[in-house]
Amino acid sequence: MANVPTAIIEFKNVGLSYDDNEVLKNIDLELEAGKFYTLLGPSGSGKTTILNLISGQLTATHGDILFEGDIINNVPVEKRNMNTVFQDYGLFPNMNVFDNVAFGPSIKGMSKSQIKTKVAEMLDLVKLSEYADRDINELSGGQRQRVAIARALANDPEVLLLDEPLSALDYKLRKDMQYELREIQQRLGITFVFVTHDQEEALAMSDWIFVMNDGVIQQNGSPEDIYDEPINHFVADFIGESNILEGIMKSDYLVHFTGKDFENVDAGMRPNERVEVVIRPEDLDLTTVENGKLIVTIDDQSFRGDYYEITAIDDDGNEWQVQATNKSLVGERVGLTFDPEDIHIMRFNESEDDFDARLESYEDDSNDDEK
Amino acid sequence: MSKNVKWGNIYLWFMFVILYLPIFFLVIYSFNSGDVMQGWEGFSLKHYVELFADTRILEIVVNTFLVALLSSLLASMIGTAGALYIYNLNHELVKNVFLSLNNILLVSPDVIIGASFLILFTVMGFSLGFTSVLLSHIAFSIPIVVLMVLPRLQEMNRSLVAAAKDLGANNWQMLTRVILPVISPGILAGFFMAFTYSLDDFAVTFFVTGNGFSTLSVEIYSRARQGVSLEINALSAMMFLVSLILVLVYYAISSRSGRNKKQGTRLVLPASEGL
Repeated sequence: MANVPTAIIEFKNVGLSYDDNEVLKNIDLELEAGKFYTLLGPSGSGKTTILNLISGQLTATHGDILFEGDIINNVPVEKRNMNTVFQDYGLFPNMNVFDNVAFGPSIKGMSKSQIKTKVAEMLDLVKLSEYADRDINELSGGQRQRVAIARALANDPEVLLLDEPLSALDYKLRKDMQYELREIQQRLGITFVFVTHDQEEALAMSDWIFVMNDGVIQQNGSPEDIYDEPINHFVADFIGESNILEGIMKSDYLVHFTGKDFENVDAGMRPNERVEVVIRPEDLDLTTVENGKLIVTIDDQSFRGDYYEITAIDDDGNEWQVQATNKSLVGERVGLTFDPEDIHIMRFNESEDDFDARLESYEDDSNDDEK
Repeated sequence: MSKNVKWGNIYLWFMFVILYLPIFFLVIYSFNSGDVMQGWEGFSLKHYVELFADTRILEIVVNTFLVALLSSLLASMIGTAGALYIYNLNHELVKNVFLSLNNILLVSPDVIIGASFLILFTVMGFSLGFTSVLLSHIAFSIPIVVLMVLPRLQEMNRSLVAAAKDLGANNWQMLTRVILPVISPGILAGFFMAFTYSLDDFAVTFFVTGNGFSTLSVEIYSRARQGVSLEINALSAMMFLVSLILVLVYYAISSRSGRNKKQGTRLVLPASEGL
């Protein structure tokens, strides 16, 4: 990815500290123009800090931030060609919807007729054309959200920064807005940088996700990569539901856990290396005791609408989360089965670069084998 | 429950009657055809006629309002700027020092402030009159305005400022288009409060009025010492009417700006001291 000319924003060894408190540690990242990026992490992980560094609300303690190849460390907020949708929207209460959206264009010195056209276009984009004359206080949360998006886009930014904009909306509205934001991004073709703590939201909307924790990017990749190949315990646990157990990688493609050996598809580790094993609840299937790779006792079951969430305990006392379409009996002994590709192996303290290199090495091997 | 409410109402009415009785007594006797407050001799407007024939008192009324208007206007500007400055201070200690200095001026006795102004003006060789009264009124009004404006700034959403900057506004545009309109109810409240304080200030003014210049409170005081004339009652009645009108105007403005607010928050009416 290095030196790709399409990088619109680049962080080079960027860090931020308050006194002795290191909020962000040596961040390197590159964002390509026209994509939907998500910074995902729990609160205090540094995701909003990165957003504020991009927008210019914060200044890095060390490192360089580049916009289209130029260092912008000292460029003030108002001179950067990007706009922000704030978490609490930050709509001006003294203005109506039209004037809020017109704020940016009027600061730029556009003529009245140009402003009118621009605002109409933006309100149309967020489906609020009827609401131009409304006061901000008369709007619902979802409508305020849309005004905030229209106002930020009215300046024709090259990058739109969104700071947890959906967190205040109810579930249904949030879902709708996810689709709509994605649609707006694709229609305008500009870069979106979206901050959220909601992994579902991140997986649904993004082209590329950065998973953050403790001021460090834990992993970055496409939603599929992150979900299917989490790099460490934190990512596996934070993204979706996971069964995580300790195991031993006996050799390439053979892992030992719960006292048994299992065939899998991971490789490139030292023989008998201690590892963590991840199996997603939806990859586990219930079967008879005879056919099961693992034998478990069903401990608890709750109905989730489209599936049953089952908690089961194996003979070693490990807890297993299973998603099943059919109802089971609590206390029943059943078998659990899964495919070799459902087992995902994580090494302790593996860096992202090493992780990528290892995946590449044995994926090449397996390709070679096929030839 | 209902019994408690009833007693509460009676108490409230009792207090209001006690507070307003002297004023009504004064107003009623301004229509007395006699010349003293003892004994009602019949309805007459003669004291009002006397009042409007008294050019000196009319001139003083104009002066008083001029001083009040100018001092509260200037104090609103300076006080708002001061509140903005204190709000933007990052250093917590410095901020508290400024706030304390502001509050000390608010609670310190008028006599001390008046006397210190007198000493200051005398030392500087400043002649006492309209300007000295105006300056001292501006000075004691500024802390009032700061006190009314600062909470508005503090409850203003910080992301408004961030959003204005984000959309390309420079500091001036941010101030005039976003911050000032948002805190305008506070500025308005500060202005009205400063206006009423200036209008009825006696202690400070008493020290810094020279020979020729006087304001209503000082004039009424000196006349009352020479013996009560019902012309003073007529004047007081007029001033009471003006106060009432001020309150109504204030409510009209604040309810208009309050209508935009969802919660319909009304401005806190400044504690206007009776004239």
